[in-house]
Amino acid sequence: MYENPGNTTDQEKFLDQAIRVVKAEAFEMKRCLDKGKTMDALKHALQMLNEMRTSELSPKFYYRLYMDSMHELQCLEVNLIQEYAQEPSKLGNLYECVQYASAIIPRLYLLVTIGGVFIKCGLGSRKEILKDLVEMCRGVQHPLRGLFLRNYLMQCTRSVLPDFPETEEMLATHNNSLPKGAQKLKPRDGTVEDTIDFVLINFAEMNKLWVRMQHQGPSKEREKREKDRLELRILVGTNLVRLAQLEALTEEMYVRDVLPSILEQIVSCRDTISQEYLMECVIQVFADEFHLATLNEFLNACGQLQQEVNIKILLIALVDRLALYTNSSIEGSPAPARMQLFEIFSEQATTLIKNRPDMPMDDIVALHVSLVSLAVKCYPDRLDYANMTFFGLRQVIEEKGITNIEAFGKVGRELTKLLNIPIDEYRNVLRLSELPEYIKVMNYFDYRGQCNIAAYMIQNMLEEETILRRQDDVDAAFSLIGSLLKDQDNQPENSYDTEEFTDEQNLVARLLHLIRADDVDSQFLLLNSARKVLGEGGPHRLRYTLPPIIFELYRLVLQFADMKEEDDKWDAKIRKMFVCAMGTIGALVSTAELAELPMKLYLNGAITADRVPFEDNHTVVYEFVSKALSILEDDVPESRDRIRCLQLTVGTLLKTTHLPGENWQSLANQAVFAAAKMFKKPDQVRSFITVASLYWHGKTIETNGEPLKDGKKVVDILRKAAKTSKECLEPLVQQQLFIQLLSAYTYYYEDNCSEINIDHIEELINRTKDNAVQLDISAEADSLEKQLEEAIRRLQLAKISVAAAQVVASRTEPDLPQPPSENEGL
Amino acid sequence: MLVLLIGDFNMPHRAANISPKFRKLLVPNKMQHVLCTGNLCSRETFDYLRTLSSDVHVVKGEFDDETLKYPDTKVVTVGQFRIGVCHGHQVIPWGDSRMLELLARQLDVDILVTGNTYECSAVEKGGRFFVDPGSATGSFSVNKTGPVTPSFALLDVQADNVVTYLYRLIDDSVKVDRIIYKKSKAT
Repeated sequence: MYENPGNTTDQEKFLDQAIRVVKAEAFEMKRCLDKGKTMDALKHALQMLNEMRTSELSPKFYYRLYMDSMHELQCLEVNLIQEYAQEPSKLGNLYECVQYASAIIPRLYLLVTIGGVFIKCGLGSRKEILKDLVEMCRGVQHPLRGLFLRNYLMQCTRSVLPDFPETEEMLATHNNSLPKGAQKLKPRDGTVEDTIDFVLINFAEMNKLWVRMQHQGPSKEREKREKDRLELRILVGTNLVRLAQLEALTEEMYVRDVLPSILEQIVSCRDTISQEYLMECVIQVFADEFHLATLNEFLNACGQLQQEVNIKILLIALVDRLALYTNSSIEGSPAPARMQLFEIFSEQATTLIKNRPDMPMDDIVALHVSLVSLAVKCYPDRLDYANMTFFGLRQVIEEKGITNIEAFGKVGRELTKLLNIPIDEYRNVLRLSELPEYIKVMNYFDYRGQCNIAAYMIQNMLEEETILRRQDDVDAAFSLIGSLLKDQDNQPENSYDTEEFTDEQNLVARLLHLIRADDVDSQFLLLNSARKVLGEGGPHRLRYTLPPIIFELYRLVLQFADMKEEDDKWDAKIRKMFVCAMGTIGALVSTAELAELPMKLYLNGAITADRVPFEDNHTVVYEFVSKALSILEDDVPESRDRIRCLQLTVGTLLKTTHLPGENWQSLANQAVFAAAKMFKKPDQVRSFITVASLYWHGKTIETNGEPLKDGKKVVDILRKAAKTSKECLEPLVQQQLFIQLLSAYTYYYEDNCSEINIDHIEELINRTKDNAVQLDISAEADSLEKQLEEAIRRLQLAKISVAAAQVVASRTEPDLPQPPSENEGL
Repeated sequence: MLVLLIGDFNMPHRAANISPKFRKLLVPNKMQHVLCTGNLCSRETFDYLRTLSSDVHVVKGEFDDETLKYPDTKVVTVGQFRIGVCHGHQVIPWGDSRMLELLARQLDVDILVTGNTYECSAVEKGGRFFVDPGSATGSFSVNKTGPVTPSFALLDVQADNVVTYLYRLIDDSVKVDRIIYKKSKAT
């Protein structure tokens, strides 16, 4: 091909030398042209073109030489045309003269140039010249040089190829642009059919040259040759582009003459690189209508291509292109043609796969990706098309005995793409349940793959707010995401520890909030049935999936609470809901072996039950709180957690108003007991302070919505707290506790708790102030100092306001008003 | 300086999503600080907050994962203001304003941010400012009658005052209220 390839530096050197000659000769040529010495100019041109005979340059470098030479030839062309305009006789027999040049390359380049000039000046028969030129080029059989020569032919004739039927207007415009004296083009001086012949011949010849490159040279350099060939592919492709650009090319001509000729050349050359590139070219450059009209022919040709050709890419390119076209012109194309499109492709795909047993699996899946895309996007109401495609794929998978497809492997990634298409396009995951083959294909995925798809589905449902309104909806959704709900056979051992597991379960949990039936009874049934399915998820899943169910039950209960009048089974139904909730929380305790989470859910249940006026609701409230306390006592080991649990229990109890006094006391006692049982003394103190509020703010059914305000009990507990805080050994901590106690006492004092002994508080203040002096200097100590000041100030304010209130109260008596108590200095 | 106050998401226990209208407003790099009152309840929600700002502070809500060890209270200084954050379930009785004042005194803060009420509010009391951003997702609460309005708050901390914006999603459109708090010159 090029006998001395050399390395890049050598190539640069050769190129450099060649270009220098080109420039030198071009310069001389232009000088002669200026002087009007045409023949001499042409002699220089021939010298210049001699360089194009070289065998030293690789395609990349030859191209550069070609470009420079073309540039000079263009100057020649322009000059000659101008000359002709001034002196028509000048050109005369140039065309013939040039043919006497000795070396073929320079001769033909010049001939093409002059031929172009003649046509542009209207000399001679356009049709004849073109035919002559394309035939003459056969003289150069060297692949590289021949390709560039023929490319030059196409460039030169670009603007003058007859594109009839030309309108009179177009003809007139062309003739008007001709230089003066030039022969005007007559209509019918070559038609588009002549152009087609011209280009097809050029195309065939170029392809032959291009293919010949494959076999030139030693086999060890094959890779390099193929790389070079690829660099030149656009030269061959340009012919097809030129054809596609012809305005007068009709569908009939395409079907009858153009495509068959092109396909024949492509198929018969039996060269993989050529076939792959050119078939794709055909798809890209010609109009969609043409493709639709020749679908069968084109696809048949695909079947005849070399085994190594990547047919899948061609099919996919074609399907995708036509899918786009079909979609955008739904009204335009006739219905039967549109219908057939899917069937034709589907059949072709099947045939293709059958005929190529070595086709890699990921290619097969990729093919189905395009088919499903076509089915889903262009035929959205023909679910059977989509289903059929999945069925076809499933058959192939079964035949090949493939299972457990790896999620992130080549095949897995295509499969993911495939399964995502209907999710993205239908925007309603529930529709997938109408594609039975879809789920079957999904099941061939490995565990990770199935989970990924399920997660994708849930995200889609959350985004689209796909409401699950009926049992069918819930059933469909759960069966689609089944891999997330229960342990699977192919589930790896450590899957529970992964972040993915947590994220997936959280997604399932979020999904549950989309269960929204139209009425209360149905909603309860849906939640119950969902709970049953989720219940089989095992201890690792329950902690994520059951809480949403429980909250939805509570929400349902509160919603139903208002409907007492409308339903005569109201009482029984409410109870059933609570039983369901309690049982579900119980599963978290027994199966999932959790403590704090179910405890909190019990507490929420207590508040809920308290708010619903069903008969003996207080027993349910009691049971909820007592279950919570039981967990607190037995199953919460960490101090910090115990404190929090007690806070929550107290807070909850304070929200209830329907417990009978006796039961309420029993629970409150247990709370006090729990406070006393805290492991560390400071925790006991803080807990006592928390629990004290029970006896002040708490309400029972007997108090009728009013707080207990059992001051005696409050003081009792605070005293216990004070005693315990004195037993704390760490000075800073003790100080903290004293200040907290002080604030607590002040709080109740402000609220008119008469049992609070103000002297008692004063004593505490003194004690605290003494302590403060003994503390080591630290930021913490400073902060406590500040808090102490604030607390004392607060107490003073409280004393004033309490005294003022007493003044108002005592104003009913005809006594002298009492002066306010003395302000004690801080 | 903008400080986002947000919390009580309860995702996935009680809510599926943050409303798209809110997600459109909450864009990265607009707020310098994010203070969260807790009850996220998943790592996903925390990651979401992290995309909004690099300075995110979360305190423990009663339903946050126990193993995560978020603190019960946190104090952050922004400009001249000390801002305290606490979920509020620790303050007994829940929602008691005097106990909240006590907490504010204990933490020695100008502004106290708490949640747990599932209702958005901003009130000045005793020279301090009490803000509750409510529930970002409008999640269900056994303590509230009827649906919960999704809400959050934004503090615009300036030299000597803070402008609070309360964002509420009512009838699928976002309503904004504006309240100004000036730091009192305490003796």
